[in-house]
Amino acid sequence: MSRILGVAYYTFIEMIRDKVLYLLLFFAIFIIAIGIGITQMTIGSELDIISDIGLGTIEIFSTVLSIFMGISLVRKELKEKTLHPLLARPISRAEYIIGKFCGMSLMIVVEIALMAVIFAILLLIYGGAGRFITFIPAFYTIFLQTMTVIAAAVLCSTLTEQAVAAMLTISFYIVGATSYNLVYAITKRSSELTIRVVNTLRYILPDFSHFNIKDNLVYSVGLDQLSLGFATIYALLWVAIILSVAVALFNVKEIH
Amino acid sequence: MRPIELSNVTKVFNHPMKVWQKIESVKNLTFSMEQGEIIGFVGHNGAGKTTTIKMIMGFISQTSGTISVFGQNPGDRVTKHKIGFLPERPYFYSQLTSMELLKYFGGLSGIKGSVIRSRAESVLKRVGLYDAKDRRLSSYSKGMLQRIGLAQALIHDPELVIMDEPMSGLDPLGRHEVMEIIRSLKHEGKSVLFSSHILNDIENLSDRVLIIDHGHLKYFGKIADFVRPSHVRYTIEFATPEPMTETIFLLFPGVKIVSDRYLLECSDISDFNSKITDIVKRGFMVYNAKADYPSLEEIVFNTSGEEK
Repeated sequence: MSRILGVAYYTFIEMIRDKVLYLLLFFAIFIIAIGIGITQMTIGSELDIISDIGLGTIEIFSTVLSIFMGISLVRKELKEKTLHPLLARPISRAEYIIGKFCGMSLMIVVEIALMAVIFAILLLIYGGAGRFITFIPAFYTIFLQTMTVIAAAVLCSTLTEQAVAAMLTISFYIVGATSYNLVYAITKRSSELTIRVVNTLRYILPDFSHFNIKDNLVYSVGLDQLSLGFATIYALLWVAIILSVAVALFNVKEIH
Repeated sequence: MRPIELSNVTKVFNHPMKVWQKIESVKNLTFSMEQGEIIGFVGHNGAGKTTTIKMIMGFISQTSGTISVFGQNPGDRVTKHKIGFLPERPYFYSQLTSMELLKYFGGLSGIKGSVIRSRAESVLKRVGLYDAKDRRLSSYSKGMLQRIGLAQALIHDPELVIMDEPMSGLDPLGRHEVMEIIRSLKHEGKSVLFSSHILNDIENLSDRVLIIDHGHLKYFGKIADFVRPSHVRYTIEFATPEPMTETIFLLFPGVKIVSDRYLLECSDISDFNSKITDIVKRGFMVYNAKADYPSLEEIVFNTSGEEK
């Protein structure tokens, strides 16, 4: 356990110093520009729109960061051979993969927290500071979704080159983000066989709709507490499956 | 328990472009290392040195044959506590300082938090990087990275140190310091396997030398035993009391004139003895008669491709 924590801690330190947080600057500029634009174009429901776009932007930025980090960290270590002196230590390859994943997840927690602070300031400016507290579950589910994407990125980066790994991870995200709507659309107007196949695929493909609670929070529809628990279990299950495959493949990989 | 034992180890890679082709990087390599000895690993680029080291470290697996490190399979976690490894052209986490890197790697090697700092400071002093301990590795020169590579290999006081080209990127002073560290490791009873292109370093440091060429073992043993009689160059430098160049050329075919003297090369020790006797009997003056033993470098480069 201490070895996993060691890898996680120094992965986090390395990333913090590697100008990863510069992404926050773009986030701040983007979200402030959105805020100014909306207040000039709309009347009445600015806060709803700012909240919707703000949470959506946090999700997109954290997803981009997770793909960027996940595919580059392990691949970079293989390419630059920083992995060799590390794997010469009494550490298993599984501990290395899990440690890297934990370090990146910690980085995402910090990134989401800082974006949430910027978002809170924007809400404060537009007189909606009170809303912020209701959005905390959304930050949590964004983290769960991002964690799943990181796991996929780590798996892809142990398998193949950086560009291909990026494409595979982005595909995973797109499938996860669209599978619910896609399945819904297909089952509406297809034959029984197709519906069966699609319904089976629904259990195999990732479905990020379980993490999408922001509409409920922004438009005060209400949140089922069980859905948060389910989202947590769903994310952990996906992470466990993906990381198990990554570890199994990495264990037999020749480290040149 | 021997630190390293290889028996008939072969490594075959798939050709990166032509999948139907195989590349035999190492072929039937057999050698073993005794506790406390230094083995120098010599070979041209692509000879199979780094591949062999990677197999010993458990980074890649052998296609056939057996490898044992302290009696265990390569990559065994408990055994890794006993091994320090310096890779070729080492790269480390550029955003960490050297102190952080040593704490990180020392922690992974099981060094307790209370002693890790003092241990790291001691190793940094040993490799001459103590003053740069709080600088990030991104600001380090190639030579400094080589030194921190050595420091991380020694942080956990290993019994066996494996170094792939440890002198690479170092200036003459740095090379001398690394050589001194390798010598001191031997005095501490450690075993060292290191590869180098600088054969003079291998000659100066190694108890035994391991020479491979195109994956084949060319020689494994003491350097002195590697030098065959045919490698020794015998020469006699002499002069005559009065000019008699034509006679000398007839008497000693192949003789050369160097300033006002003659230089004669002999094929072996008996030829050397008989020619000296002949020269002295004729009343010529012998200025110099010597047997030159070639360096390891000369032998290796002159016998490349020839089976030893």
